[in-house]
Amino acid sequence: MRELVDARGLACPTPVVRTREALKGGAAEIEVLVDNPTARDNVCRFAASQGCRSEVFEEEGMFRIAITRGEEEADAASSPETSARTVVVLSADVMGRGDEGLGKILIKAFLNTLAESDPPPWRVVLFNRGVLLAVDGGEGVEALSNLERMGVEVLVCGTCLDYFKAKERVAVGTVSNMYDILTTMLSATNSVTI
Amino acid sequence: MGPEDLEKVLRLLPLDDLGREILVGLDTPDDAAVYMLDEETALVHTLDFFTPIVDDPYDFGRIAAANALSDVYAMGGIPLSAMNIVCFPCSLGMEILARILEGGLAAIRGAGAVLLGGHTVEDAEPKYGLAVTGRVHPDRVLTCQGAEEGDLLVLTKPLGTGVLATALKGDFLTEEEMGEAVEGMASLNDRASRAAVLAGAHACTDVTGFGLAGHLLNMLSGNGLGCEIEVSRLPLYPRAREMAEMGMVPAGAYKNRDFLSPMVEIHSDVDDVSRDIVFDPQTSGGLLLAMPEKALGVFAREMGGECFWAPIGRFTANAAGRVRVLP
Repeated sequence: MRELVDARGLACPTPVVRTREALKGGAAEIEVLVDNPTARDNVCRFAASQGCRSEVFEEEGMFRIAITRGEEEADAASSPETSARTVVVLSADVMGRGDEGLGKILIKAFLNTLAESDPPPWRVVLFNRGVLLAVDGGEGVEALSNLERMGVEVLVCGTCLDYFKAKERVAVGTVSNMYDILTTMLSATNSVTI
Repeated sequence: MGPEDLEKVLRLLPLDDLGREILVGLDTPDDAAVYMLDEETALVHTLDFFTPIVDDPYDFGRIAAANALSDVYAMGGIPLSAMNIVCFPCSLGMEILARILEGGLAAIRGAGAVLLGGHTVEDAEPKYGLAVTGRVHPDRVLTCQGAEEGDLLVLTKPLGTGVLATALKGDFLTEEEMGEAVEGMASLNDRASRAAVLAGAHACTDVTGFGLAGHLLNMLSGNGLGCEIEVSRLPLYPRAREMAEMGMVPAGAYKNRDFLSPMVEIHSDVDDVSRDIVFDPQTSGGLLLAMPEKALGVFAREMGGECFWAPIGRFTANAAGRVRVLP
């Protein structure tokens, strides 16, 4: 079934919103008409983010974008909320039990590698001694800052910061509460605990 | 308005010769005008208002006021007083207007300034902002020019508000989900401005409608310098990258790109989203500062732990008048 979305004359983000509605409606093929390059680029990018292929035909005064859903995405990708949400949970400021010095080296290496991973995780949660990674001079400040810049949310347990009297020294992340931490862990599609 | 249209109109204005009391006027692309009263005192004048960027009227008020106050901070000044500028459809109900003004007042008070009055016009779409008067010492005015070779470029709020506001409009995101950006936009640039003055920053502006690239280019006009920025260092509000990947890039970003791209060299390894973020129009963005590396220690100390800032690039002697965007 091929659906036509005529988004000519509509300002962003409406062309993308209409395209999303058509995809959610289950159409396997969609043809979107837009009349400006902004809308063209945004619709194509949206299609790609949903695992669809798109092809643009420039016609008189407008662009015709043919969008086809990939086979495997036809069922799964009906909403963007289904994309992977990996949560990395850090409950200590060292990695592994045993030697503390080694644990510190390992956790630093872990976070640096995490900051280079593709795709990056959805969120990073820090609690108990894990919060010390995010305070001034902590082993994780640089890597966690890099993760944040990539759009990863870093949640730092507020109760734990209070306990360690470190709230004033938080250098990265959002000070958070048990409700947010619990919601994050429950809505993760996948979680990694250190 | 986009930079291209604005430039066309301003070119037509017959401007007066500036007296020596005008320290900053229409002849430079600065954020506010500065008028010297005596050797010790100069007044900073600015105004800014716009249509709602978020749905909550109180937050909109806070953001619009913080945005207007920011122009005083960008000149190194301190806000003294403010006047409300209001366009409002009466059909929306007076409670909503009251909430907008309450939000604005909270920001004005936060800045240590006083609200003195205002003006209201009935209009189809709500608009709110402030005219602000501030004070600065005539010898300590920060302008957008004055960067020197080797200076670091420092940004004091993350980027991505244009993308997030577009996503909010398209229902891809709720206002709660962009909470960090709302707080960021509503926060004042007061501390960053004071830290910049104390650290001896060479130049300052704030990032608003013309995006990072547009305002950075203003810092390069007439000083023979270029600037390199590294996109891996660009700070983004949560979800901004994800939303840009889903096509929530505002038309303003494309307008900025079309007008500015002859002066902006983008390395071929820079990804599409980062490229758009460089041109994304910001609401109540951070200060953009040029400072020598040795000033960074004082700046960091004055900013304290809880205030955001990030060095994102460096001013160079080569590629004069151009921004180079590196991976």
